[in-house]
Amino acid sequence: MPRLEDEIRRLMEGETARLHAAPDLLDRVMRLRRARRARVKTAMVTASVLASVAVVAAPVVYLATAAQRATPSTQVTTSATLEPAIDDTPPVRTEPKNLGDLGDGLAFGHVKVGYLPEGLRWSTRSIDHGDMYSTSYNYKGDAEGFYQVQILMYEEEAVREVTERIQRYREEKDGEDVMIGDRSGYLVVQHVGEDGMAGSPTLFLKMGDRQWAEITFSPVYAKEFSGAEAVNTELRKIAKGLTSTM
Amino acid sequence: MNGAEHDFGSFVAARATSLLRVAYLACGDQTEAEDLLQTALERTYRNWHRVRHDSPEPYVRRVIINAAISRARRRAILNIIPMHSPPETSAREKDSDLVHVLMNALRALPPRQRAVIVLRYWEDLTETQTAEVLGCAVGTVKSQASKALAKLRTALGRDIMEGACDNAQA
Repeated sequence: MPRLEDEIRRLMEGETARLHAAPDLLDRVMRLRRARRARVKTAMVTASVLASVAVVAAPVVYLATAAQRATPSTQVTTSATLEPAIDDTPPVRTEPKNLGDLGDGLAFGHVKVGYLPEGLRWSTRSIDHGDMYSTSYNYKGDAEGFYQVQILMYEEEAVREVTERIQRYREEKDGEDVMIGDRSGYLVVQHVGEDGMAGSPTLFLKMGDRQWAEITFSPVYAKEFSGAEAVNTELRKIAKGLTSTM
Repeated sequence: MNGAEHDFGSFVAARATSLLRVAYLACGDQTEAEDLLQTALERTYRNWHRVRHDSPEPYVRRVIINAAISRARRRAILNIIPMHSPPETSAREKDSDLVHVLMNALRALPPRQRAVIVLRYWEDLTETQTAEVLGCAVGTVKSQASKALAKLRTALGRDIMEGACDNAQA
């Protein structure tokens, strides 16, 4: 009888033999590159314009932002016209496994959540891989709806994975180092399966040598805010409210 | 086309199919694999000035594997990864059924365990190389491989292994 490992190799070979890279793959990669470069350029120009407007008309911007933020549900219309990102596909409700009954979802694993944006509540969905676990939050009464915020926790061995990911972003000059109180973090827009959309704004927070948090907004939820700065402000608030119970 | 674009184009032409197969095994879905590969290549091209002088393939492979893990973890919480039920034992006689069972079992593994299996037994990386790709300790690779193999052994089943043996000898 062949060894299991050899059999796995043989079966994998049989399964993948039919796969061949698309002839236009290189063209598509180049198009993606150009689109990304254009997006970054637009974002930089927009940020620059917003910064100059803020200097001239700071009170107006403040009032507009406050008004938008006070009624986030009124702006969901934006998402209704968009093709949902993969990460925003309505999920089937699942019961949490090892994380148990999270109650209101504000304490799970070795972390307590002290702040959530207005209107969000625990989605009742969680996942536990031991040294990596996660849960998410969505709007009240939207049980079958999209997730808005997801918090992923990395502990012990899994910490290396997240710090290496941050290092890669840093090397690619994608995102920025930030401080949340006396804790360090990293702000970046990740592209994790919602291609064609603006990406998922994310804040990584170092909660200790053996624990990191990854807080991420769904691309559709991020669109409900007035801009990247408003999203980052909310991400920072959530990060500030996280307390380790390790 | 400048020198960098030409080099990158040659690399894609030579290695894209092999990398697509890694992506497919890492995520279990062809469309997703194509997207993973495209995204990984775009990121590679962005850093081509740095990676072209070394062997770019390990870099792309690392991006693919880690992106697959990241996506799978985020999707797992939304429960949208297709988890097909394994076929009945009586239907597992042909090799194609075995492949089906294996792919379903692979999809059902936690993302990091699936990545370990792909890197160790498809890419033939050593435990140390696998640990480098995944950014974890060698001991973790060993334990994850052991757990994953136990699950695959259960999924494939002893009778399946005997059937595979017969097929291999035929």
